[in-house]
Amino acid sequence: MIKLGHGNLRIPKFEKPVYMVAAGQTDFRKKYPEKTTEELCVEAFSMAALENDLKVSLSELKRMINFCVYSQFADHFGDQLLGASKIHDALGFDPLGNIEVKTGGATGGHSVLAGALAVASGYANCVPVVGWERMDEVPTRQGNAYIASAACKNFESELGWMYTAYYALMAQRYQYEHKVPRETLAKIAVKNHGYAVSSPFSQNPMRITVEDVLENNLVSDPLSFLECCVMSTGAAVLILADEETAYTITDQPIRLTAICSGTHTLRTADRRPMEVLRLPHEPEDLYKNYQHDWPGFSSFLAARMAAYLAYHMAGIKNPVEDLDILETHDAFTISDIQTYEDIGLRPYGRGREFIDSGEGYYGGKLPANLSGGLIGSMHAVGATGIFQINEIFWQLQQKWAKFHADPKMWERYGKTKPADFENLQVKNARRGAAISHAGTGSHVTMAILEKV
Amino acid sequence: MSIELTHPGCELLSGQPMVIKNVKNYFHIHTYGGLSPFFVGLREGRLLGTRCGNASCEEQRIFLPPRTHCPDCLSPSVWVEAPTVGEIYTHTEILYPGAGFKLTTPCPLISVSLEGVCTKMMSYLKEGQPRIGMKIKAVFNTEHPTHTILDLAWVPA
Repeated sequence: MIKLGHGNLRIPKFEKPVYMVAAGQTDFRKKYPEKTTEELCVEAFSMAALENDLKVSLSELKRMINFCVYSQFADHFGDQLLGASKIHDALGFDPLGNIEVKTGGATGGHSVLAGALAVASGYANCVPVVGWERMDEVPTRQGNAYIASAACKNFESELGWMYTAYYALMAQRYQYEHKVPRETLAKIAVKNHGYAVSSPFSQNPMRITVEDVLENNLVSDPLSFLECCVMSTGAAVLILADEETAYTITDQPIRLTAICSGTHTLRTADRRPMEVLRLPHEPEDLYKNYQHDWPGFSSFLAARMAAYLAYHMAGIKNPVEDLDILETHDAFTISDIQTYEDIGLRPYGRGREFIDSGEGYYGGKLPANLSGGLIGSMHAVGATGIFQINEIFWQLQQKWAKFHADPKMWERYGKTKPADFENLQVKNARRGAAISHAGTGSHVTMAILEKV
Repeated sequence: MSIELTHPGCELLSGQPMVIKNVKNYFHIHTYGGLSPFFVGLREGRLLGTRCGNASCEEQRIFLPPRTHCPDCLSPSVWVEAPTVGEIYTHTEILYPGAGFKLTTPCPLISVSLEGVCTKMMSYLKEGQPRIGMKIKAVFNTEHPTHTILDLAWVPA
């Protein structure tokens, strides 16, 4: 039985404040044969260095860097071990020290965590975090088998070679326990495909209806194709710095007030029931009469742990009130509902209210996945957690329009800015959060960014 | 003597950008190690789980999938017979599996709840339509074993 001790719940702290100074990324495509992985990473880093109104040149910025973090989910996909070394070389960072981080779907989030640890400790004062995934070398079915290699090879992978099936098991149990209507799940797919329409970076923009989702072919009952994340190729880069370095680089640094990590068993099967870990805003008796196993198959302990630590670390008293913008890891519609509860947007069993109330939409209290998320925009796995934080960063800098609304951004990727483009800049956004998530909840990070 | 190619090379898929098809064909030698008794058990029509070998450990329920060591106290586990009758905790029907799936589709996948077992292993329902709470019993593919977890399945009890 998991019984958390005092030491286990110690709130993390940074010795020095950590800032984000720049963001860059490619567009994301199902297939990207025009560019090598190294080219994609150089393109993303160049955007970070050249297009974020920095006070230093690209060359000056490069000379300020003293440690690098690389983020790639699976060597299988790129068919290149030590790919990070080629990218480090392509970016001209040799002989600086570097590490590559691997925590499945949460690799991006954990890479940012690794970069933050380096800056917060004083080990380094300027750290690029570079993420990518090249998922276009194999057919989609083989890609799904590769991803399912991140399930237990002895007891699970053979049962589907498909993560959608593992989430579908959770979805059926969640629906049994909490009676969430299929329509609510479908709304999340409609929302995120819809927001992707206003992003030049997105791979799967769509104007669809709830009926389209409900009539769509199932991958694994109850999840349809439109409710699953895309498989992408592309790269994303962000740059972290300590306070002095950050203000040398930019007049608009965004503070990373927290980034915290939680984990749980790789096999959903192994999750023994325990007492609900309560978030700062949840009253003591909230789950006194909770009738279901927790976390069971309906909740992610890893996400709850990450949120518990991050909220305490960043001083978040109530996420819906205190946060202005959110990016979740919407790999599947069901995992999004589960996550709303894990991070305390609603109590367990009531996650649907976050969508049904309109709170999670643009114009609502806490708009979620305005980037289009993993369902609408991208899931180039190693880049994903970085892409999410980039989108929050530009929102907090009030620069979302610069990177999404300019017709030239669309032309850059061979696209035309759509007639039904919507300006999704959240006015006066001060604080945002991003969730990076692996497996069926094996690793989760929550990052909280705040305008200075 | 000149050096010659021993391989036909890669197929050219596109000239600009130049894209090639690099075919791979290899195998892995995989060991079940200390978990071997479980897979040997499947060949004998037995469902084996593990229990913590430390009598003072708070967790005395069966783990299935088995574990060589107790995750709580790290004591070596002991092998025990697990119940072969239980119920469906949750289910799905997989229509589009990934490459390498060895069963026919659509295939009902299930998670199994067993009395005295603290975990809910993933498996598949060989016959019938699954529903949560449905009583099921284990069946074993002992005739033409795959030597994988697919040798265990469940049918309505």
